[in-house]
Amino acid sequence: MKRIFTAVVTTLALTAPAFGQDVVRVATEGAYPPFNYVDANGELGGFDVDIAKALCAAADLTCELVAQDWDGIIPGLLAERYDMIVASMTMTEERAQVVDFSDKYAQVPQHFVMSDALGASVDASGDGIDALKTALNGKVIGLVAATAAEPYVRDTFGNSVTYRSYQKMEDALQDLVAGRIDAYADGAIPITESFLSTPDGNGFRLAGAALSDPSYFGLGNGIAFRQADDALREKINAALAQIIADGTYAKINDQYFTFNVYGE
Amino acid sequence: MTSLIQYGPLLLQGFAMTLLVSLAAFGVAIVLGLLGAWAKISGGRIARSIAGTYTVVIRGVPELVLILLIYYGLPSVVQNGVRYLGGEAFARFRLDFDPFTAGALTLGLIYGAFATEVFRGALQSVPRGQIEAGRAYGFHGWRLARQIVLPQMLRFAISGLGNVWLVLVKATALISAIQLTELMRTAELGAANTREPFTFYLAAAAMYLAITIASLLALRAAERWAFRGERAVA
Repeated sequence: MKRIFTAVVTTLALTAPAFGQDVVRVATEGAYPPFNYVDANGELGGFDVDIAKALCAAADLTCELVAQDWDGIIPGLLAERYDMIVASMTMTEERAQVVDFSDKYAQVPQHFVMSDALGASVDASGDGIDALKTALNGKVIGLVAATAAEPYVRDTFGNSVTYRSYQKMEDALQDLVAGRIDAYADGAIPITESFLSTPDGNGFRLAGAALSDPSYFGLGNGIAFRQADDALREKINAALAQIIADGTYAKINDQYFTFNVYGE
Repeated sequence: MTSLIQYGPLLLQGFAMTLLVSLAAFGVAIVLGLLGAWAKISGGRIARSIAGTYTVVIRGVPELVLILLIYYGLPSVVQNGVRYLGGEAFARFRLDFDPFTAGALTLGLIYGAFATEVFRGALQSVPRGQIEAGRAYGFHGWRLARQIVLPQMLRFAISGLGNVWLVLVKATALISAIQLTELMRTAELGAANTREPFTFYLAAAAMYLAITIASLLALRAAERWAFRGERAVA
């Protein structure tokens, strides 16, 4: 019985060459630019893809990238279609119940946008959130209801600044240009894409520390592994620390973003 | 529009993949349909009840559920079973379905159930007298089926099979969920990466429609051929 079983399984294994774990297969989504995308040639690219490649190189692993539709991305990991997911996945409680996450590898930051002049005075006031508090004291800050930044800004700045509320980001940014507000806080990517990269954004920039308090903004993005796969997770965590330390991470970051996507 | 030209080759690859997986699945569906119809009409009690369960269960569960079950569920069950039975030596055993095989087999399995009913109806439409006459002339078994039953059955089956094919082609859009880069998935990728969803989904719709129109023309030709010698059909 055992022999027949062995024979059958060996045959299966021959038809299924992924017997053992020589190649680490990495899944990403391919539809979330600039983090991961499929270009017109069908090639995967983006921040996640470059980070995944850098991690594999640092951990001395042979990796193979696959593109997987978001809907099936966790089931595919559990069914061992691939061994890790690098797809800008937010680390939530719910997901952590079925997969294990690496250390945070990115946290799309929330940032203040303001005029270059005010930005310079933030830079001159030192580091971290205190510099913002000093430079923005007495200024007018725009807020949009129901954004992640809104409660954070109110709780952090209290009565030291004046608030103006808006329905949407575009309105607040127009008033920033018109000088009715001095600063506005929101996700760094939407601000960059719909304002700073347009002619309207001339003379304005992101300034001060990234806003990434976990109790307001979550835990950031992690790489997902199967729960039994501690060995791989530890290797990747070590590799992550290494590429952050040796500047590889920063180099990849600068190819895609004008701010630090790691957050704080 | 320029983005459509950029992503055109990718969309065309997706289109080709959709056609291929549809054809493969349709082949599987026809084989399963013939077997199922045979089991339902002239099988024994066991074959009949297997075929009956098959058509009821498959036609009663949504395609997407079956696709996910087979692609993600089945390998997990087999893997865990093998690892459990095989012990240490098989601790890292992994069963790989490639998405094409999984997609074609699953869709074939699903539409085989519909094809079973088409073939069953068509078989029952062949007049008993034809079979009896065949027997009287000494035809038996395979020859009786091949030369008397199947050609006549096919006439009645064509329009039903055509329907199965049309629905099957559209159902391939569901297997974008399992890593197969077919038309729907390439359209999604193009839409997401250029932020022009309307352009890409419209292009995908046109391509699906093109398959359907070509199929309808082929179907009409096939019917004309099958009914040659009969009075003209509409």
